[in-house]
Amino acid sequence: MQILARAKTLRDVLDSLLKTDYAVEMSQLPTQGRDATTLEDIFLKRLVERFFFVRRAAQGKMQDLLTRYCARFEVENIKRVVRAKHGGQSTEAPNLIPLPREYTLVNFQALLKAKDMDEVASLLRETQYNPILERLQPYKETGATMILEAVLDKIYFSKVWELVGKIHGTKDLIGEEIDLRNLLTIFSLKTRDISARLIEDATIPLTYALPKTTLQSLLQSRLEEAPNILGTRYSKLASEVLNLLRSGAPFPMEWVFFKQLYNDASATLMTQPLQAGYVIAYLLQCECEAKDLVSIVTGKQLNMNEEDILKGLFGIYRE
Amino acid sequence: MSVGRVAVTRGVLLRLREQLDFTKRGKELLEMKRDNLAAETNRLLDKIRTRHEFEERLMDAYQSLKTAYMTLGYSRFQSQAVTVLPLEVKVRMRSVMGVLVPEIVQGKKPTINSVIDQSAYAAAMQLTELMTELLSIAEAEGRIESIAQELMLTNRKVNALERVILPKMQETLRYIEGRLEEETLEEFFRAKRVKAIIRGKD
Repeated sequence: MQILARAKTLRDVLDSLLKTDYAVEMSQLPTQGRDATTLEDIFLKRLVERFFFVRRAAQGKMQDLLTRYCARFEVENIKRVVRAKHGGQSTEAPNLIPLPREYTLVNFQALLKAKDMDEVASLLRETQYNPILERLQPYKETGATMILEAVLDKIYFSKVWELVGKIHGTKDLIGEEIDLRNLLTIFSLKTRDISARLIEDATIPLTYALPKTTLQSLLQSRLEEAPNILGTRYSKLASEVLNLLRSGAPFPMEWVFFKQLYNDASATLMTQPLQAGYVIAYLLQCECEAKDLVSIVTGKQLNMNEEDILKGLFGIYRE
Repeated sequence: MSVGRVAVTRGVLLRLREQLDFTKRGKELLEMKRDNLAAETNRLLDKIRTRHEFEERLMDAYQSLKTAYMTLGYSRFQSQAVTVLPLEVKVRMRSVMGVLVPEIVQGKKPTINSVIDQSAYAAAMQLTELMTELLSIAEAEGRIESIAQELMLTNRKVNALERVILPKMQETLRYIEGRLEEETLEEFFRAKRVKAIIRGKD
């Protein structure tokens, strides 16, 4: 990753990637189609393949868990459709994660052709995402898609969380992801002066290391008090985010929270090779790799300097 | 109007005096228009002087945008961007001292509530704030362009009146007045001579 980030041009990045797992797709690209968008498609396609390869290889309850875990791509695609319909986009929205038809029960072609949000919701009526129908009215009242997106996250993590308790070793990373997502939602929405009630609606109603009372206090208090409220586990992250906000640096909060998650996944890979958590850690590392590759190629296309690109990577890479 | 070819009559003299008055009033009006246009230009120039500082802020916003774009990648960023309902802008023409200048009327502001990602939201927020200012500067530039053109034409007209047409008219007027005075004197002298001749015969 360091080498890729330090490459002079996008072409050099491509040359380096020709020696990796992505070589086959890269070599098939026409010279003119070698831009960040096409490369991103390739990285995401490979990410999806990796997830579903692991799911196929698993058995029993672990396979059930991974089936539910892999639904994150489906959920992300539904969110993208919801956003597109909110913005009044036409039927052609090619910016979905390339998810093969056999891996999803949702008919995305039909969703994309839907005229409005009501039709999208009615098309989801027969799927596990039908609670979205109940939140249509609040969405219409506020005009904020975060209400619908929160329902989708809630459904996804609830389904995963149901099975987590039955498979030893998977709770830590999935629980941490839920906590970090909730913190990210609260921190980013609190900076916008959104009401505590709406923020609470946007959070996932599950917790792992964060008691519900802590989340409630966080919702009611000022951001400056967050490090004290959160206690030891996440207080350092909260301080880091506050420092970033104070400095006014254009660095996304997502970077702080997810860097922590991917670092913990990396630690799990090294310390728990014989537990089921290893699989989740591997998948998170795959996600981290895809995100970092996307950041590198996009950064190169935007002519960003290597320091900025390196700073924006989620994973920790040593030379 | 060549001075030598003008008909030397009282009628022409009266008409020319009227024309001179009319032209002087026209010149005064044009001078007033020129002064007003110059004042308007100065006022707009003050607005345009903020452009440099504005461009620096715009570059900061672009930097935030690039960071968000880099972190999210094209598809996620695009997905966040489609939720932004666009800014509504109308451009209509308004008359300032007879000069048609563009006026930008802002309708609905872009709604960025549905941008959930914090980095994309921060970039959208910065750009939305700058957009109003950008439109104001664009309006000022458009106005200055139209006004400067008109100012140049008006200035040329005032100069032409002041340095060519009015002096020529005054010269013609003086010529006619002189000739008419001469003719009156001649007539007077002729009448005196005729009178003297008639007296001599008696």
